[in-house]
Amino acid sequence: MTSPRPRVRPDAAEPPGLDDLLRRVARGDEDAFAVLYDRIAPRVYGLALRVIRDPAQAEEVAQEALVDVWRTAGRYDPARGSAISWVLTIAHRRAVDRVRSEQATADRTRRAAVTEVAFDEVVEEATARFEQQQVRRCLGNLTELQREAVDLAYYHGYSYREVAELLGAALPTVKTRMRDALIRLRDCLGVSFG
Amino acid sequence: MSDIHTLSGAYALDAVDDIERVAFARHLEECPACVREVAELTATAARLVDAVTAVPPAWLRERVLDEIGRTRQIGPLIRRPAHAVPATRRWRRAAVAVAAAVVLVAAGGGALAQEQRVRDAQRQAAQAAEIEAVLTAPDAMVQAAPGPDGLGRVTLVTSRARDEAVAAFGGLESPGVDRTYQLWTQRGDQSTDKGKLGTGVTSGTVLVAGVRTEQKFAVTREPAGGSTAPTEVPPVSLKLD
Repeated sequence: MTSPRPRVRPDAAEPPGLDDLLRRVARGDEDAFAVLYDRIAPRVYGLALRVIRDPAQAEEVAQEALVDVWRTAGRYDPARGSAISWVLTIAHRRAVDRVRSEQATADRTRRAAVTEVAFDEVVEEATARFEQQQVRRCLGNLTELQREAVDLAYYHGYSYREVAELLGAALPTVKTRMRDALIRLRDCLGVSFG
Repeated sequence: MSDIHTLSGAYALDAVDDIERVAFARHLEECPACVREVAELTATAARLVDAVTAVPPAWLRERVLDEIGRTRQIGPLIRRPAHAVPATRRWRRAAVAVAAAVVLVAAGGGALAQEQRVRDAQRQAAQAAEIEAVLTAPDAMVQAAPGPDGLGRVTLVTSRARDEAVAAFGGLESPGVDRTYQLWTQRGDQSTDKGKLGTGVTSGTVLVAGVRTEQKFAVTREPAGGSTAPTEVPPVSLKLD
């Protein structure tokens, strides 16, 4: 690929070496996978739990995602993103597939209505750790519509069509808000490439 | 192009359906600037996880490490250099990506691999291979239509040579409480049942066999469990002949 190798600003949440670990895992190194597991499991499980909410199902999905990381490690392409974002893309996709296949839209819409405070919970859960504070501060910088769109899509697993329905907003508006929100978050969090 | 480009945020947040994901991935193959933007936005979305980390139960570690010992790894993807490819080849490649995604879903069982789940996975993997064969057939023809009430999309890939079609559904509106989308082929006033999406299910991919002598492919909303004949005028109908 012609695109430059991405560099995510180093920070405490992502100690160096995930790339190397993943490369070793791709060659079938089970010890490397055990080390990788300890680094990524809290985020994989935390994400599954946030999206799915039911701990038993979140454990199952986290397990599937982590085994997927092992199985498809050879497919990781550093030119297309950092190791952690590759791992979390797999985990998020798994979690979203689970909620989208298991619940009728009507159910989920009803559930969303009673969990409107989810974003506040997310904020509450954020502890004093720097990265968490940073994410929380940056989420706070978004407009309300941007924040809700990101919250419903990423933390609840809704498609942008469902988000548009829930927010009573037009489809193009929701698509644009999602992109604007991520661009603003990117700049605020200092995620930089190249 | 600019329309699909605005999907980059929704794509990075995983807020797209299967068809849009494939369409956007295809767009990425031709747009290096977009690859970079999506990589950045995806990395940004991943940072949202910082706020929700949770310590998994200790037994999960043993279970995962045990399962990887029994799980075969797949090899690296050999990417062709990005340059212009004929439209037909582009579709072919996107089709393979859909099939690969289906295989990935089908093959991913949990460690609690009960007999039934293993059998299901094997059946699904066999079906995924069938689906891929249709999508990559030399005579594959693609048609698409909006879902009922203009929500979502129904895409039909037909191979007359194989006498099969693949119907992909994404982002449809809910079929209603205790109702399912049901698939049909039709010839004259004769309708043949071709399966259901499942109660309340609004997206998915279904292999449809026996299309060569049929005139239409139709989708209706039916009570859970399905009907023996359509109970409404099909809100989605595509010509097969």
